[in-house]
Amino acid sequence: MLRYMVRRILATIPVMVVVAIFVFSLLYFAPGDPAAIIAGDQATAEDIALIRESLGLDRPFLVRFGEWSWNILNGDLGTSIFTGLPITHLIAQRIEPTLSLTVLTLVFAILVAVPLGVLAAWKAGTWVDSAVMIFAVLGFSVPIFVVGYILAWLMALQLGWLPVQGYRSIGDGLWPWFRSLILPSISLGCVYIALIARITRSTVVEVLRQDYIRTARAKGLAQMPTLFIHGLRNAAVPIVTVIGIGFAMLISGTVVTESVFALPGLGRLTIDAILHRDYPVIQALVLIFSFAYVLVNLAVDLAYTLFDPRIRY
Amino acid sequence: MPATTLAATERPDLFVVRRRRSGVLGFLIGNPRITIGGGMLALVVLMAICAPLLATHDPLSLAPWLRARFPSAEHWFGTDMLGRDIYSRVIYGARVSLTVGISVAVLTSVVGLFIGLIAGYLRWADGILMRVMDGLMAIPSILLAVALMALTRGSMVNVIIAVTIADIPRMCRLVRGVVLSAREQPYVEAAVATGTRTHVIIRRHILPNTLAPMIVQATYICASAMIVEAILSFIGAGTPPTTPSWGNIMAEGRALWQIKPFIVFFPAVFLSVTVLAVNLLGDGLRDLLDPRAATRT
Repeated sequence: MLRYMVRRILATIPVMVVVAIFVFSLLYFAPGDPAAIIAGDQATAEDIALIRESLGLDRPFLVRFGEWSWNILNGDLGTSIFTGLPITHLIAQRIEPTLSLTVLTLVFAILVAVPLGVLAAWKAGTWVDSAVMIFAVLGFSVPIFVVGYILAWLMALQLGWLPVQGYRSIGDGLWPWFRSLILPSISLGCVYIALIARITRSTVVEVLRQDYIRTARAKGLAQMPTLFIHGLRNAAVPIVTVIGIGFAMLISGTVVTESVFALPGLGRLTIDAILHRDYPVIQALVLIFSFAYVLVNLAVDLAYTLFDPRIRY
Repeated sequence: MPATTLAATERPDLFVVRRRRSGVLGFLIGNPRITIGGGMLALVVLMAICAPLLATHDPLSLAPWLRARFPSAEHWFGTDMLGRDIYSRVIYGARVSLTVGISVAVLTSVVGLFIGLIAGYLRWADGILMRVMDGLMAIPSILLAVALMALTRGSMVNVIIAVTIADIPRMCRLVRGVVLSAREQPYVEAAVATGTRTHVIIRRHILPNTLAPMIVQATYICASAMIVEAILSFIGAGTPPTTPSWGNIMAEGRALWQIKPFIVFFPAVFLSVTVLAVNLLGDGLRDLLDPRAATRT
């Protein structure tokens, strides 16, 4: 087990290296000369050359990549061109809404999607199943911002139940914080729910065909324990896997959701960085989001044994 | 229904309990998702092709004195903040979405097939290629597309390239998986044993296996590419703002959406319906072409 864990953790290193190379190339090949930008409009060619030399921009790709990686390992993500602030500082400012939104959506989506998928599998072939699957196709097809605008229009503007936009920090109290995240979480969760419900249904349908389910039913075990203890438990591995893979959708979705609901998070920071062509910030954000994705999937892999004790490494 | 197909189904056949209709109509009835999805998509394609005939106004002409008007007999879907006719813009927007969706699907298939075949067939290349693909896959696709778009000017071609790069790993893994399982098949071993040349084996025995799953995957990629294009345009990193794309129309309506929700609403409906059509078509094709995958996902 320990050997497997170590091997699995080591296996993420090449992935992270590829991500890092890609993200670094992004800045390296970005149009515009950072030295010229820093030097300003009045600078002469000599000034720019001087700045370039002092920043080390004239050195070869590999040397700069090594230095950049070393800085990141030491927790230095660089400086924003637009604001002049350290990027770690910008991210620390903006991480709370994003983290809140992601965690809340994750919890909410799993709580809705898994029972929905089990229900569809249990009632496979009936109208309940069709309804859940139609919802799943819709969830895949209606873009997040469309769901977001419809929800905000209905729940906030027409009914006035929830705030339209904006974010309340968790420091302002749990309830205002939660209220400000209800609509964003539902919008962001739709695709994720569709994905998880679909995979849950198909795996549970498969499991329900097994002999031990027939045995459980034959010995008179009630419907719910059969479904959830025998059915869901044995279907857990694919479901957990898809939750991990779908995390990428969740991350991509935060960029859009934060924009629709005016949440001052990392997604919003990404959009601002694009509009200002603030390459170091874009670079840092892509890197952080990707590493988060890799780590979540690492955790999923390591969690397999928890769900299925038959898996031994 | 043509008479010939009637004759085929009217034959008394004691062993067949459920008669299957044959012919085109039978196929369409037997595969409702392909019928509905394909039909809806055909309408959108028709709309895109006939855009100049269907549009009531020039989608680009400005009329600042007619800003953000509600839908009326003159402007069916109202006008946007610059007085442009939203109905005409939405009609022309179908061209952008379909072009991006279909181009990305085709390009991803071609490049993904090429890399997937190499990775699946050449052992030494497999390790390197798959590590690169794993790395690319670790970057959430919208972020990857956004990052690539930040490097270039906003244009439709650049959107297509950015989304394609972000989607290639998915196709590549699929092809590689099919190749790896196909090359273990007895008929491939037999072909190798009889001295068939590698390129012939790939063309005759491996490629046909990849076709069905690739078509299904390409449909899903087409659907997601249209969403990504709209998202990119919506956040200001996609097609240039003057282009009438659904994402751009929504982006323009964003500032006013609380009082003039129709600006966002109409392109949103068209985008959702088109993506739904492609997804339905994909589900139908999957059930038809790859019955085993249908039970899995």
